Amino acid sequence: MADGGGWRPPRPCEAYRAEWELCRSAGHFLHHYYVHGERPACEQWRRDLASCRAWEERRSAGAQRSLCESERARVEAARKHALVWAPRQSPPADWHLPLPQEEKDQ
Amino acid sequence: MAGARGERGPGPAAGEPQPQQPDACRVFPERPAQGKPPQGGLLSRFFPSDQKCQLMLLKTLETNPYVKLLLDAMEHSGCAVNRERHFSCEDCSGNVSGGFDASASQIVLCQNNIRNQAHMSRVVTHELIHAFDHCRAHVDWFTNVRHLACSEVRAANLSGDCSLVNEIFRLHFGLKQHHQTCVRDRAILSILAVRNISKEVARKAVDEVFESCFNDHEPFGRIPHNKTYARYAHRDFQNRDRYYSNI
Repeated sequence: MADGGGWRPPRPCEAYRAEWELCRSAGHFLHHYYVHGERPACEQWRRDLASCRAWEERRSAGAQRSLCESERARVEAARKHALVWAPRQSPPADWHLPLPQEEKDQ
Repeated sequence: MAGARGERGPGPAAGEPQPQQPDACRVFPERPAQGKPPQGGLLSRFFPSDQKCQLMLLKTLETNPYVKLLLDAMEHSGCAVNRERHFSCEDCSGNVSGGFDASASQIVLCQNNIRNQAHMSRVVTHELIHAFDHCRAHVDWFTNVRHLACSEVRAANLSGDCSLVNEIFRLHFGLKQHHQTCVRDRAILSILAVRNISKEVARKAVDEVFESCFNDHEPFGRIPHNKTYARYAHRDFQNRDRYYSNI
């Protein structure tokens, strides 16, 4: 997390509001239940929206901390599963090569 | 995509099967007994099938939010997609809708089996997920069934293949956690479409990788249940520099 000058919320406050509204919608309830078999939890989006607004209005240090912790927790949750395959350091060498000549001739 | 597809020689790749019957043949799963597939509508009356396929592909690439995010993510990973180089509209001998040929770095679209624009978008999304996995990781498509299973789980999960609406159209009625059942089943079907292995071996591979691969939502960051979610995901992807520099 960048301290002091230059820091801003990881997402625009409008994005937190949109995520909270989407999370609370009936459609999302249905999708979430269809996938996970339980109701969605939307309270964290509401807290993040409040923190974002607190930062925008009065540069609250507590709001900055809260937002960073919340987003780091989201990143950690997304990365907790072990990978099945090894990541590449560079893209496949043949991605941009032309197709084999015999296929071009067909 | 099965090795025996249409005009192309053998080229094992991940496949997108048509709706299923459980006793599918080894190379291509059978379609349900519905007679001829529906016509593509007005376009099919005026355009040959390749041109129709190309037109639908172009529209998908330009307008579909799932695909636009995947294209951006692939460019970011060093695999910029060129429509003429990386897509091929072909007639396929089996019943698959498309496939990713890793040996040629090309997505095959089975123009004789893609029904309409929405189907085209879903097939392109599905195959681009395989292409994205090929671009960002060392996926052993040809000899590691677990790797293939992982990519098929992700493609079924993230492409909209297993949306509630699509499952209802297939007459698969289920609600609580049914999405996961669909993802498992369709991943197994896709594996069987391109690998000459038993259903039990395919199921075991899916079971082994499911926990990890079902929760790998890259590049979407979430399961995109519809275009709204896909647009939000694309917005987040475009915002990633600000995001990671401020947490």
